[in-house]
Amino acid sequence: MKTLLIAAGLALALGAVPAQADVLDSVKKKGVLVVGVKADYKPFGFRDPSGAIVGIEPDLAADVAKRLGVKLELIPVVSSNRIEFLQQGKIDLMIATMSDKPERRKVTLAIDPPYYSDSVNILLSKKAKVAGWDDLKGKVLCGTSGAWYNKEVSAKYGAEVKAFDGSEKPLFALKGGECIGYLYDQTFVQGKLLDTEWNTEFAMPLPGIMEAPWILAVAPGEDAFAKFMTDTTLDWMKTGFILAEEKKWGITPTDYAKRMHDKHKGS
Amino acid sequence: MSAPPPRRLEPSEAGAPLAVLLPFRPPPPAAFAWPRLRLVHLVGIAGLVLVVGGAAHAQASGARLSALEVIWRWLPLLMWGFGFNILMSVLSMALGTAAGLGLGLLQIGENRLLRRVAWAATQFFRNSPWLVLLFFAMFMIPFQFTVFGHTMPLPDWVKAVIGFSLPVMANMSEIVRGAVASLPSGQWEAAESLAFSRRQTMWRIILPQCVKRMLPPWMNLYSLITMATVQASIVGVSEMLTLTSQVHAAEGGRPDLLAPLYGFAMLCFFLYCYPIERFTLYLERRFQLNQ
Repeated sequence: MKTLLIAAGLALALGAVPAQADVLDSVKKKGVLVVGVKADYKPFGFRDPSGAIVGIEPDLAADVAKRLGVKLELIPVVSSNRIEFLQQGKIDLMIATMSDKPERRKVTLAIDPPYYSDSVNILLSKKAKVAGWDDLKGKVLCGTSGAWYNKEVSAKYGAEVKAFDGSEKPLFALKGGECIGYLYDQTFVQGKLLDTEWNTEFAMPLPGIMEAPWILAVAPGEDAFAKFMTDTTLDWMKTGFILAEEKKWGITPTDYAKRMHDKHKGS
Repeated sequence: MSAPPPRRLEPSEAGAPLAVLLPFRPPPPAAFAWPRLRLVHLVGIAGLVLVVGGAAHAQASGARLSALEVIWRWLPLLMWGFGFNILMSVLSMALGTAAGLGLGLLQIGENRLLRRVAWAATQFFRNSPWLVLLFFAMFMIPFQFTVFGHTMPLPDWVKAVIGFSLPVMANMSEIVRGAVASLPSGQWEAAESLAFSRRQTMWRIILPQCVKRMLPPWMNLYSLITMATVQASIVGVSEMLTLTSQVHAAEGGRPDLLAPLYGFAMLCFFLYCYPIERFTLYLERRFQLNQ
């Protein structure tokens, strides 16, 4: 890194065109900010019938573009290509439901604090008398086999977790009354509750547990842009923008978003 | 041994020589006809209607949209995606055909080294999975390149076109080689005896005769590549299959929509490829009779 900086400094000193211009500068020069978002993750990023990508993350991207005073271009990404696109420079910024993992921090420049957080929650039948996680003792939950938190939830709260493959089978079992709730990723549960098929009989009354933060990312070495994004994220938390977005797209505000707003609103 | 009395000639036949003495004329080829609806087609159509309509009927209750309504709502987007598949198939076919013609001619050319190289390239690309070639194209080709200081973006779908044109090229090369090899050697000998050079023989005598032999397999190849373009969804090109899954997600991932949505994609490809297949069949029959 140091040698790179020195080399870049030398190149600049010699009057040569720097090979890696600052993304923030090139974005302003181009007048377009290119952001990679998901297009298959309702309500965080999905298509509307006109083909445009809409949702919470496209809104965040639009806000970043507005702050920079440039136009916004959204590129749909999937988990398998999002990091590659960022490294290639095909996208300037990634807002694509990426959970925070050490190996991802090695290949991208993650923005702190995490802008959002998924967690573990339960799609719970409205008939079940459960007011808190401790009320789950002896109750039967459906789950997806292989989810790392199944064991922890049954050990910690004493619930029995019946595991099924994938996410359709446990939902089917839940409808069939085999369990009182479906233990799964909170964002998935929030997405299900947008659908009338689920939100008449089911709800998500408990706060999420075992948070898994989501990170924004820029290409490695883009320190100036990272600083800008950190400030932007803090401002979102301060103004409650993310909470407002959650409400706008009809999902229950997450514990993380509320906490971050409370923490930063005074600053 | 008494011959039976000669049959009285019909007025129209009067004076005509015996049929066996007439020069052979192949019967005219059957005109291109749309296939008549047969039971098997009805079964297929009924199946599709069931997939699309049945699910719609079963789920139409409540505030939720039926499958047909969902498809109708997203039709412009899905059709846009399908148009993309067609565009990719046409471009990769054009690119692959041009390259394949060159490669095929090299394969039967006189230069030994070039022949070997062309053969090896043909075999390599013909025997590699299309998806692997697609992956190579996606990850080896940069997303933009700079020519004379101008940065040209290279969108994903263009890279996919290049990826698909590789197998088309190799298959086309074999079609050319096969067509040339299938011509009777008398054509070469006759041309040689008329003092045509090799190049003249190739361009004026051999290749014109090959065109109609190559047409049916070429169209077959086109059908195949059209159906293969959905593989581009795996590498993130926003074509019909990608959009179908995104539409499914946007509709809340309802499991009952899975069959109708993907069934609709299947129906689009079927409606596009089936007439091509029929036409190919017709051409095959027609050219078989004339040679």
